[in-house]
Amino acid sequence: MRISLKWLSEYVDLPAPDEVARRLTAVGFEVEAVERVGQGLAGVVAARILASEKHPNAEKLSVTRIDAGKGEPLQIVCGAKNYQVGDVVPLATVGTTLPGGTKIEKAKLRGVESFGMLCSARELGLSEDASGLLILDRGIAPGTPVADALGLEDVLLEVNVTPNRPDALSHIGIAREIAALLGHQVRLPRPALREAGAPAAEAVKVRIEAPEKCARYAARVVEGVKIGPSPLWLARRLESCGVRSISNVVDATNFVLLELGHPLHAFDLDQVAGHEIVVRTARPGEKIVTLDGKERALEPDDLLIADRDRGSALAGVMGGGDSEISAGTTRVLIESAWFAPSGIRRTSRRHGLKTEASYRFERGADPGMVIPALDRCAALIAELAGGTVRPGIVDAHPRPHHAPEVRLRWRRPAELLGVDVARDEVLRVLGGLGFEARASDADGATFAVPSWRVDVSLEEDLVEEIVRTKGYDAIPETLPANAARTPVEPADAQVTARAREALEGAGFAEAVNFSFVAERELAPFADPSAAALRPIALKNPISADLAVMRTSLVPSLLRNTSTNRRQRVEDVRLYELARVYRPAPAGSDVPAAEEGELAGVLVGRRNPTGWAAGPDPIDFNDAKAAVVAVLEALGIDARWRARGGAWLHPRLSAEVLGADGAPLGEVGELHPRVAAAFELPRGVFAFRLSGAALVRSARLVPRYGGIPRFPAVLRDLAVVVAEEVEAGAVLASVREEPLVEDATLFDVYRGPPIPAGKKNLALAIRYRAPDRTLTDTEADAAHARIVARLRGGLGAELRG
Amino acid sequence: MADLLGQLEALAKGAREAIGSAADEKALEDLRVRFLGKKGELSAVLRGMGALPAEERPRVGEVANRVRDEVEALLADAKGRLDARKLEAELAGPPIDVTLPGRRLLPRGHRHPITRATEDISAIFARLGYEVASGPEIELDWFNFEALNIPPDHPARDMQDTFYVEVSTLGDGAPDGSVLLRTHTSPVQIRAMQRLGVPPVRIICPGRVYRSDYDQTHSPMFHQVEGLCVDEGITFADLKGTLAAFARAYFGEGTRTRFRPSYFPFVEPGAEVDVSCSICGGTGRLPVPGGQLPPDRATRRCGTCKETGWLEVLGAGMVHPKVLENGGFDPKRYSGFAFGMGVERMAMLRYGIDDLRLYFENDLRFLEQF
Ligand SMILES: [Zn+2]
Repeated sequence: MRISLKWLSEYVDLPAPDEVARRLTAVGFEVEAVERVGQGLAGVVAARILASEKHPNAEKLSVTRIDAGKGEPLQIVCGAKNYQVGDVVPLATVGTTLPGGTKIEKAKLRGVESFGMLCSARELGLSEDASGLLILDRGIAPGTPVADALGLEDVLLEVNVTPNRPDALSHIGIAREIAALLGHQVRLPRPALREAGAPAAEAVKVRIEAPEKCARYAARVVEGVKIGPSPLWLARRLESCGVRSISNVVDATNFVLLELGHPLHAFDLDQVAGHEIVVRTARPGEKIVTLDGKERALEPDDLLIADRDRGSALAGVMGGGDSEISAGTTRVLIESAWFAPSGIRRTSRRHGLKTEASYRFERGADPGMVIPALDRCAALIAELAGGTVRPGIVDAHPRPHHAPEVRLRWRRPAELLGVDVARDEVLRVLGGLGFEARASDADGATFAVPSWRVDVSLEEDLVEEIVRTKGYDAIPETLPANAARTPVEPADAQVTARAREALEGAGFAEAVNFSFVAERELAPFADPSAAALRPIALKNPISADLAVMRTSLVPSLLRNTSTNRRQRVEDVRLYELARVYRPAPAGSDVPAAEEGELAGVLVGRRNPTGWAAGPDPIDFNDAKAAVVAVLEALGIDARWRARGGAWLHPRLSAEVLGADGAPLGEVGELHPRVAAAFELPRGVFAFRLSGAALVRSARLVPRYGGIPRFPAVLRDLAVVVAEEVEAGAVLASVREEPLVEDATLFDVYRGPPIPAGKKNLALAIRYRAPDRTLTDTEADAAHARIVARLRGGLGAELRG
Repeated sequence: MADLLGQLEALAKGAREAIGSAADEKALEDLRVRFLGKKGELSAVLRGMGALPAEERPRVGEVANRVRDEVEALLADAKGRLDARKLEAELAGPPIDVTLPGRRLLPRGHRHPITRATEDISAIFARLGYEVASGPEIELDWFNFEALNIPPDHPARDMQDTFYVEVSTLGDGAPDGSVLLRTHTSPVQIRAMQRLGVPPVRIICPGRVYRSDYDQTHSPMFHQVEGLCVDEGITFADLKGTLAAFARAYFGEGTRTRFRPSYFPFVEPGAEVDVSCSICGGTGRLPVPGGQLPPDRATRRCGTCKETGWLEVLGAGMVHPKVLENGGFDPKRYSGFAFGMGVERMAMLRYGIDDLRLYFENDLRFLEQF
């Protein structure tokens, strides 16, 4: 809300502008900007045009002689055409710097001397109007500074009024706050209303068919008006608050809106069929053309201001084209009504129409302002546009307003604030804000809420009024006295922390991506068992690229990888830890199943940093190592099964399983077609792990198993097996031998003299007995059993 | 016999001279072979002992042993001397190029600044006894709005442009009602109160939130940390003390806080909380580096706080009675305070990040700075 301090000062005595801004901010009306206008106009004076003739050397210029109040007329060359001799216009005298930065100097224009510049409104920084000279009132004496003559100097405040305070969306509303703060009185405007002619009730009838949506509809009639431009003072007032001047009658309604905060509407009474106003909801299929020229299909929830035949305005939101004030209007009907907030809001949102009126009605207009605003506007129209006000108000008032009463216990402020507030301070503050104390006793008092304070209904609301005025600085700083529960770190937080550390230790940087992606990006990651289900979609996404909730984090990471590679960052290791979203199982108390996922992507060189870096590219085993780093940090002993999901290369990927066979996730090289879809080369590896599965499998507390007391016997074993025999199977077979404490694969060899289709696996085996020193004979026997088992089970041959 | 003794004497003398002047280990080894080897000089002398009468042999043997011991000692001595010289030479050489970058086993990883800030904030509140709570991001309208005193058609809904969820894509398991992406972490207040059931409630909830607004200064997804404290006798003074303690812990000792009245539908009374600007120390001005400048030019405007000396970082207030009721707490008996802050802003102030969009582009050149 833009507030003019010049205007505001008509209703309340003001301290200096910066103090006003500080005080308003301190009571909850944040002043976001303080703008000084009409300054830098020193040197611009009113000047009367005495004569004007064509420039001898230029078609489009004139040479004028003007009286600037200095005795001697001045010669000024001018390009505008919109003036007549005798007009008074602004003259920027030599030496003036205009608000736009133009410095006025004595000049020769096409050979003719010019001693200043005649100005348009735009050149003075007053409005955007640059169509011609700003024509001033002829009564202004030449030589008068224009800023004084027009009262241009002003300070404008941009005040942030929170949605609970519609009463402050006006100059009177802000004046009330300042008056309460400073202990001053508000000077309300007292319209001088002179009524004449036949009663208004004979000119128009009002009927409310939807009292639950319209509690009151009051109207006045002004006859014999002449539509014309507004006087400069009025246009300036509106423009300083960002409202365009339209015509005297429309401007009068807008003036009252900005002054008193109550939205009004003016109709051309002669366009109101049957001279009857009906406040009703829209009929099925009904349409209306609003002032912005759009035809709008209405719903039965929309409230209309209609005449006998049809709807003529969307009540409290926007007028309609037919009944608008036009140049030929002579009889004006002024509407001042109170509409229920929720209905106005629904209509405003449904039709995408946000107006000054709807903004105030949907927050809650002051029911006590219906009649004062109507009277003020009628008097103003009569003053500005001539005409007479018909006697009386046509007032339909099916639901009178009853001011609520709120009880405040004297001890409540201290209970809630932690600081005592004296009883007389409570009464003084609330009284200043218009809360009238009714019954008062030793325990507390009952206060009548003023009609404009639609936000106050509870004891706590009154406490807020007190502390708002008193200031939060008066409250001390303490800490809650009672003991807290001892916070326990949940298991998933520990899993998260360890997984992060593991991946960051492996050189991964954490990414944070939006939770919504393009639906097509998720297709390769769909769970085949839930193929029929779409991902959870937004009704109103920002764009198709941000339209559905992620079911996997991998696509976002692939996009990040692609973006980084375009920036010539080719060694990429990224991880993300976030939720993925799927439909909730039946009986859930939340709308969706949100489970954590840990995903990573890696591509580039294995050792990407520094002078000792090698050219070796990352391969499957690096990706697997990253997963193993996470699993080891969580104490999870995993199993590996060839072939991950459809998004992975079928030959170069694996499924990760827990010791109990439960799936933990997948790892591998991207499927070449998925890589291509994300504009990535071959050789990009990725993994994803289920957060819930990790939490279930994690062993966060280690278990001490003792230190072996007897020495181990070490033996190496080299076996040749067929390509398709997995190392894991060989190791598992070795570990079946009870005396084997540990077995490690230390080499895989293919090539001569090993026959094609086979590979040589070299293992280091450690034998140990827990209860005695193992003899060589025992170890040899165990070794032989292993060889026999490998030969029998996996077709292995002993080598060397 | 005298002949043999003379030979031994000569051998010892020759060994003393030769070993004393041996230049390196190879020469020393050659000398060992020459004097003590199987075919060496000492062996040759001893072979002559066979011709001696038996009573003379012990005497010669004794001398021979003495000579062997002496030669061995000389050799060991010389070896020690040579080793020491070699070590001296190695230690005295030119130093290596220590400015070469250390060889990394693996590049260091990086934690996202939003995560870092969230962890820092959570750790401070953990010390004040706050437990981390969480709630769904895909939320029912009731929890996100209605339970927080924001009924349908309430203009406060305009404060938060909301993403709504296509209910048909939620499957049959979802509870009835309008579903949205939570616009703030405040619905966790309700869920936490309902879950805990009894005081004390002291929780913070960090998490993702969503608003349908996307431009240079708005992201459709961002992060908040919500805090809630409910018990008997909780006052606004407790809120002030808690947030003042937090601000000092997060922004540094000396940080001041300022509470201004404001409006959030789920608190009453409500406040915006400013902290003294951590960039300029609350003065609104920053020193201009370099030289002796006149006083009016020695400082420049602080852009972070726009010269006000204050930064708006938190919203807070006393929990609205209707919110307590919706959480299952009797507002006549219990009171509480709640607060919320934007993590992106907290991280911006801590790390000097100047563009919101950087957080979600995941450019490694950005991430690697953390
Ligand atoms: Zn600053």
